[in-house]
Amino acid sequence: MNQFQYVRPTKQKAAIDALARDANAQFIAGGTNLIDLMKRGVMAPQKLIDINRLPLTKIESQNGSLRIGALALNGPVAEDKLVLERQPLLAQALSAGASPQLRNMATVGGNMLQRTRCPYFYDTALPCNKREPGSGCGALEGFNRMHAIFGFSDKCIAVHPSDMSVALVALDATVLVSGPKGDRRIPFNDFHRLPGDTPQRDTNLEQGELITAVEVPDGPFTKHVHYQKVRERASYAFALVSVAAALSLDGNTIKDARLAMGGVAHKPWRLTDAEKALIGKPATEETFRQAATVAMQGAKAFEHNAYKLKMAPNAIIQALKTAAAA
Amino acid sequence: MADDNPEINPAEPGASHNEARRTFLKQSSLLTAMTFTPGPIVQAAAAQFDEKVAAAFEKVPLKLEVNGVKHKLSVEPRTTLLDLLREQLHLTGTKKGCDYGQCGACTVHVDGNRINSCLTLAVMQEGRKITTIEGLANGDNLHPMQEAFVKHDGFQCGYCTPGQIMSAVACIREGHAGSEGEIREFMSGNICRCGAYSNIVAAIQEVKNGGQKV
Amino acid sequence: MKTPEKQIGARMNRVDGRQKVTGAATYSAEYKLPGITYAVLVGSTITKGRITSIDTKAAERAPGVLAVITHFNSPKVPGFDTAGKDPSQPATVGGPIKIFKDDKIRFNDQPIAIVVADSLERARFAAGLVKGQYAQEKHQTNLEANKAQAFLPTSAKKNPKHPMNDYQRGQVDAYKTGAIKLESEYVVPTEVHHPMEMQAITAHWEAPDRLTIYDKTQGTMATRRDFAREWGLPEENVKVIATYVGGAFGNALHSWQHESAAIIAARVVNRPVKLMLTREQMFTMVGYRPYTWQKLGMSATPDGKITAITHEAIGQTSTFEEFTEATLAQTRMMYESPNLTTRYRIASLDVNSPIWMRGPGEATGAFALESAMDEMAHLLNIDPLEFRLRNYTEQDPEKNRPWSSKFLKECYQLGAERVGWNKRQLKPGSLRDGDWLVGYGMGVGTFGAHRGSSKANIRLLPNGTVLLQSAVTDIGPGTATAMTQIAADTLGLAPEKIKFELGNSDFAQAPTQGGSAIVNTVGPAVQEACLALKEKLRTMAASSNAAFASTEKEDVLFADGYLTLNGNPNARVPFADLLKQTDGGFVTVESKPQGDASKSFSMYSFSVHFAEVRVHVLTGEVRVSKLVSCADAGTIVNEKTAGNQMKGGAVGGIGMALMEHAVIDDRFGRYITKDFADYHVPVHADSPDVQVAFVNKPDPHVNALGTKGIGEIAIIGVAPAIANAIFNATGKRLRELPITPDKLLV
Repeated sequence: MNQFQYVRPTKQKAAIDALARDANAQFIAGGTNLIDLMKRGVMAPQKLIDINRLPLTKIESQNGSLRIGALALNGPVAEDKLVLERQPLLAQALSAGASPQLRNMATVGGNMLQRTRCPYFYDTALPCNKREPGSGCGALEGFNRMHAIFGFSDKCIAVHPSDMSVALVALDATVLVSGPKGDRRIPFNDFHRLPGDTPQRDTNLEQGELITAVEVPDGPFTKHVHYQKVRERASYAFALVSVAAALSLDGNTIKDARLAMGGVAHKPWRLTDAEKALIGKPATEETFRQAATVAMQGAKAFEHNAYKLKMAPNAIIQALKTAAAA
Repeated sequence: MADDNPEINPAEPGASHNEARRTFLKQSSLLTAMTFTPGPIVQAAAAQFDEKVAAAFEKVPLKLEVNGVKHKLSVEPRTTLLDLLREQLHLTGTKKGCDYGQCGACTVHVDGNRINSCLTLAVMQEGRKITTIEGLANGDNLHPMQEAFVKHDGFQCGYCTPGQIMSAVACIREGHAGSEGEIREFMSGNICRCGAYSNIVAAIQEVKNGGQKV
Repeated sequence: MKTPEKQIGARMNRVDGRQKVTGAATYSAEYKLPGITYAVLVGSTITKGRITSIDTKAAERAPGVLAVITHFNSPKVPGFDTAGKDPSQPATVGGPIKIFKDDKIRFNDQPIAIVVADSLERARFAAGLVKGQYAQEKHQTNLEANKAQAFLPTSAKKNPKHPMNDYQRGQVDAYKTGAIKLESEYVVPTEVHHPMEMQAITAHWEAPDRLTIYDKTQGTMATRRDFAREWGLPEENVKVIATYVGGAFGNALHSWQHESAAIIAARVVNRPVKLMLTREQMFTMVGYRPYTWQKLGMSATPDGKITAITHEAIGQTSTFEEFTEATLAQTRMMYESPNLTTRYRIASLDVNSPIWMRGPGEATGAFALESAMDEMAHLLNIDPLEFRLRNYTEQDPEKNRPWSSKFLKECYQLGAERVGWNKRQLKPGSLRDGDWLVGYGMGVGTFGAHRGSSKANIRLLPNGTVLLQSAVTDIGPGTATAMTQIAADTLGLAPEKIKFELGNSDFAQAPTQGGSAIVNTVGPAVQEACLALKEKLRTMAASSNAAFASTEKEDVLFADGYLTLNGNPNARVPFADLLKQTDGGFVTVESKPQGDASKSFSMYSFSVHFAEVRVHVLTGEVRVSKLVSCADAGTIVNEKTAGNQMKGGAVGGIGMALMEHAVIDDRFGRYITKDFADYHVPVHADSPDVQVAFVNKPDPHVNALGTKGIGEIAIIGVAPAIANAIFNATGKRLRELPITPDKLLV
């Protein structure tokens, strides 16, 4: 790990100023991904701005939404009474991620900013356009078992590893950011980017911007929800594919539906067409199967991840079945 | 600590700067010394002079409490809590099993919550209370979880054990030891390659069901 | 006085439990030595070729750096230059490549430099500044692409009696003409031991000709021999300390280059050097279970008698060592088959050398054999347990001699009851629990009950306690605990009064911990040492108390502060008096296998594993819901620790069956799986409450204790039990490990 300057502001403005001044600076919150990457030489910031003492940890109910501070920790959020009551899907997704220890460290803002787990990104001796633009994509013709089936480019086929973000994109959350040019709100689906020609950019955050909170609008998705995570071992593993499913039922009729997938794209993958295919239909396996078929339109596999073309729709069906039965 | 005013932070601004400074220091000290001193002394002098200056630039002050003992330290910002415990405070009970937050051997409690000490910088823990495996027993009296691990043989090689025990204590305190399944899920951040999982779960269940204060 | 309770067979707590639960147990990178320095290794980024230059300037200038050592500036290591074996002959296991000796790169991430600094942070940073330049050559890292170049190991070529030679009984490849036959190919991929403690060494030159290393090794004596040779030192000048070993599973059976590098570095900086590999380096700088391809052909009669088996295997090795393992051993002796052929080959790749991983080749071979047994039973529509019983061997069909003991049938019975085998349906896919398909499978394991020679030191201390010392290590099974129990029974002394010290090459000679042979080997030495001590004390006591003269050592009893006699409590000689008569030194005893039992009997431990699995119909996820392991391992010295070892092997088998798979991107020759995020090992949630049962009947021939060994049979046969259960649940026969969800969705 390189030497770096370390500062620990206690005021939001000081933190933003510090970052805005220095292109080689990084915020550090939980550190569970950044320190990992710094140890391996993948990231080498010259300055770390420790934002853990900023007052951004509150979870509060406001008019029509739940506002979760960016520095609220994943574990406590997953067990927060308000979150469990209003947004159980988010709680489930958070609990499916990492380990209890990591959830006690990782923040909500940091979770969104997790970088891909693509092995080529992690090894500085291998090509990776995300780590080193122009060096090539090692995964494209390499070991691409974990990689994208949607939204990839010839520059990058990595996937976003967050579970929490899959629930948040499904729930139409909004990311609140504060920067040198003031505050702005980013719809969750616009927060993460597809790789295109600039895979080095994971999100649409601008230089100097700080995530301050995420807002999750209140909705009808308090009962029939399920986060289905398919992984290689029973716990403490990144998803092969995951599905966040939320249904609002009137009897057996689907009034409203939300669906998103993880482990399939460079960003959490919202499935709006599949949602449309669900609304107004009976909550049956047949309906779920049709929605899954819609969801998979446009999916394309590489040498080692063709299984996702079957696993993903199956996981959607399973998630919807479980959500409907909840 | 230069809260709110990054510019007066005593830490050096980065590696490239350090390297240039160091090269300068080394060369200048060598040049002055070389004319009249034998080789080994030149080297030693250069190294020592350099290290003292470098240390002053590269370290930041840190106060924290470990197992009830208050420490006033001076550390490099890049030092992880794990490496601080093991290499500087010689509390080697906290283990390094992967260094990437993927095994749980380094689990400690910070202000009562379990975390992976390998993925946090020591300086980030300013003012916090750290408990390691060495701080769990009450003098010669083992903590009930330690007793239960011995009784149920909740280990083989012993290397993951401190992390398992710190996690197990937290698992009960958090209220995540309600059933065998819940224990297994909430202990999954602690890998035991020897595979003593069944015995670890038995130990946790005994402590939980025994109702002792953990 | 009261005779102490029998300790052998008792569920005694570990003698080092307190150290392990308090963090007081000290592992190789945890010794506090004055002036300690930290080393980090730099690995090559190419797979094959030559180093043309190494830029070390930036690293040398970095703060705190004490040395950067490469082949350009490494000091001469005397043992690297001594004329060894004929260079035209390939080296065999035990000869690691000579680090920093030449510019040749033989595998990816081969160490090219070691950086020493005054702190770990500084060493790690500086290591990142070292840049190698290479002349790259074309490499081969894929076994499947190199099967055609596989060859008979040199050891077998040279010696027709070597077990790696082709084996034949009856007719060659007779299965091909059988009426009911199968022929299947199986793959066990590269797996990595990954003990929780990464490989670590602290090297300290206490004088220019005296080296002490605190090292993660399974054999303190073997490690001492290797490094004494390397530095041209008498063995007594090298001390190897491994009091605690944080798991190994075979990984520390070999002396590796990083150990040589740390010793060189300590020499250069003239201070103690601490080196711990990173988790990435645990894939590359030490060994692994080699990728192995197998083909098994089998024929049988309609009523379930095997008529022929042919089992072939090709395992990978490096270009500089011929690694071999007994992949086909179980096939030769497990089942009656009048015709049987085995062929074992290895193929050299541009990779580091493999090293035996728990249950080594037998675990790999058992995956093929025990899967094929299940396939044949299915073909014949016979219950797989019944099929095994119909081909049960009452004597060794390979060597045509009796077993020293075999209670495998008892194991079958115990395990079948506990897992609920009667619920198993012959037709796959018959059982379902909601969205989960349920199935049952079994797999059998065996491993030679080996016994070697060992010494033990013993002495009586003034406080009436007995100290035993052995160079043996304890990598987790609880060696010191078992030895304490054996000593307690032999001496008639409470275990609290016995201290068994281990893990130091200065102690009495003992073999390397491995091959399930430690209790078999060191146990008798401890027993004999205890008897020798008793005899010594008896004769010394006889000089002051006549009662001791006319008795046998077996009658000698230890009481509180004095020695007495069974049946004669009035005969008392205080320990203090006895110790006055002696120098207080150790009695050293050497114990060797007696007689020729190993020539008249075939000696094996046996195990059977039963698994109940659940396979999700939509996602392909597999959960092992029950796992029952039963063993015929002779006498069980401590059911608590032995049971734990069996459970651990079962968990290792879950990893082998369902998730472990180290992957190289052959374009680069570089591992793509680099840590526990992409090389999965089982976590708590993957493990059921593993049930263990022992037959616990002594073997009359292996040794006086009746033990046969546990460590290997704990894992051998687990992976096929799970794979067979998956077949029973789904009807899908998967012959390539690991069985990940994607494979079940195809």
